[in-house]
Amino acid sequence: MGDSKRHRILMVSDFFYPNFGGVENHIYLLSQCLLKLGHKVVVMTHAYGNRSGVRYMTGGLKVYYVPWKPFLLQNTLPTFYGTLPIIRTILIREQISLVHGHQAFSTLCHEALMHARTMGYKVVFTDHSLYGFADVGSIHMNKVLQFTLADVSQAICVSHTSKENTVLRSGLPPEKVYVIPNAVDTAMFKPAAERPSGNEITIVVISRLVYRKGADLLVEVIPEVCRMYPNVRFIVGGDGPKRVRLEEMREKHSLQDRVEMLGAVPHAQVRSVLISGHIFLNSSLTEAFCIAILEAASCGLLTVSTRVGGVPEAYDMIVLAEPDPTDMVQAIKKAISILPMIDPQDMHNRMKKLYDWHDVAKRTEIVYDRALKCSNQSLLERLSRYLACGAWAGKLFCLVMIIDFLLWRLLQLWKPAEDIEVVPDIVLSLDEDRGMSQDFQAFNEDHSLR
Amino acid sequence: MTKIQLANLQYLYKRDDWEGPHPLDTHHIVIQWNSARIFLVHLFALLLFINAIYLCLLNGTLGTIFLLSMLSSACLVKSYYGTLIEKESVVIIPSLGVQLKAHYWSGRVVRSFIPIDKILKPVLNENVTPFTCYWSLVLLVCGKKELILAFKVVKPPVKLLVPSGRHCVVLLIVEKPQIPAEDK
Repeated sequence: MGDSKRHRILMVSDFFYPNFGGVENHIYLLSQCLLKLGHKVVVMTHAYGNRSGVRYMTGGLKVYYVPWKPFLLQNTLPTFYGTLPIIRTILIREQISLVHGHQAFSTLCHEALMHARTMGYKVVFTDHSLYGFADVGSIHMNKVLQFTLADVSQAICVSHTSKENTVLRSGLPPEKVYVIPNAVDTAMFKPAAERPSGNEITIVVISRLVYRKGADLLVEVIPEVCRMYPNVRFIVGGDGPKRVRLEEMREKHSLQDRVEMLGAVPHAQVRSVLISGHIFLNSSLTEAFCIAILEAASCGLLTVSTRVGGVPEAYDMIVLAEPDPTDMVQAIKKAISILPMIDPQDMHNRMKKLYDWHDVAKRTEIVYDRALKCSNQSLLERLSRYLACGAWAGKLFCLVMIIDFLLWRLLQLWKPAEDIEVVPDIVLSLDEDRGMSQDFQAFNEDHSLR
Repeated sequence: MTKIQLANLQYLYKRDDWEGPHPLDTHHIVIQWNSARIFLVHLFALLLFINAIYLCLLNGTLGTIFLLSMLSSACLVKSYYGTLIEKESVVIIPSLGVQLKAHYWSGRVVRSFIPIDKILKPVLNENVTPFTCYWSLVLLVCGKKELILAFKVVKPPVKLLVPSGRHCVVLLIVEKPQIPAEDK
């Protein structure tokens, strides 16, 4: 860690294990790497079914599954002030120094950042997705983001395109936004010892079969490629509402023996699907940063992708196409022609050099150091930032923050911080110098009476 | 022999360590008298009573309303004391098991016994509610899916729970009868 001091970070998001996805993976892997760097990391998310309370994951990662039920798309019901008591309790008992929220679509993240700022903590926000500007949903989401980011210490985006998008949506000064791309676990995604041989070329598609992932493009592209190349077959992994369209396409063009539909593929099995192919096809209509492309490249596949969002920033060996069926077919044609020149092991080694979660953690640590160096501001100074959010919105935001501040003061009177017990840090190995934690570990371990 | 060992504003931990032919190790968590809450309940009952008298004087009759309000006030106070827990205890009976007791202000005592061979382990568990977090001493019991709370109602600070839990561990490690290998 060098001269950096140990941080005590609270990661907050509605999206975490046992849910699976890019954000969940990012939070988990980043937390693990930060733990290895010597920091303390605690994750806060909502309860998933019976999974409620405190859980410990690999490496001693502590997770609070707070029993607030999700109400829409895994998002906690927004209550504005309902989560203030539990967030305050967790911040005090874990002696948190910094709060890191993830994903603009997470209501728990927004509330946690708001309450953390009210209580004087430094906050960092990571945006994982691109959003629009024109539709009603995006306008409201952007206003909420503007409110949250008006007073954030630092922000992180996963690509330069994402940074541009976030800055435009939220009005955040660009100098406050850092770009730290996601990484890939190259130890897990390795190429096969031997590439699939024979004349057949296999194109793999693994994604959620939804509109924004370009499933409709696949319906146009697959039959055309199959017509042009009799030796090409497709493997489609994933599930979603557009699966029916792909099944219909398969029936209509009699491609049952050339298009294999696997359904939902557990993440642990993604590698085994990828290494059975030569080319990876990504047809997303919008992507802040596509980890799937990195995983495919790490497995030695040549990638063909739509030129959207942060995809061109991933690496230079991607064959890019506009999100148009004709252009995508041309891109696949080009990929097939250069396929013999691609060495899977070489591709894997490049990914290993370019992307590493430990590097992401070190860069995030720098952001944390800078966030903690930001000056402490009083409520009045902070309110001026909210006023700049709009003629009416600014005043509304100020009112929300003033009420939050008053509720916090009330909570301090009703339940003073001294009454909230600090949780000792539980270390995984026995340690002679445990101090306060001795009671807990000596108690909860079998070798307490040795 | 009673020793008052630990206390805070809300709770008091006491340990009774009886030696002799039938030794018992009892750990109590006593709720300190919450004057504010008791005052509010009595005030509410009094207001109910005064309201009834006012209505009676207004109507000029002393009858059903007065009697009903007297009855409801008495029921309110009685039910409050009936549900009010005075203290909870964990009685460690060497070689036999653990008895969990809840003493109510009304004098009622609720007991449950867990034999020693059923107890797998006592654990300090962190609980999370939608508004707060607290510690509890729980027993992992063979054959039960759910954890058994040693203290069901009281939520004392963890430093008051540790002594009880530590002596439960002693009971299990030292006193638990070892099952012969051929019987496993």
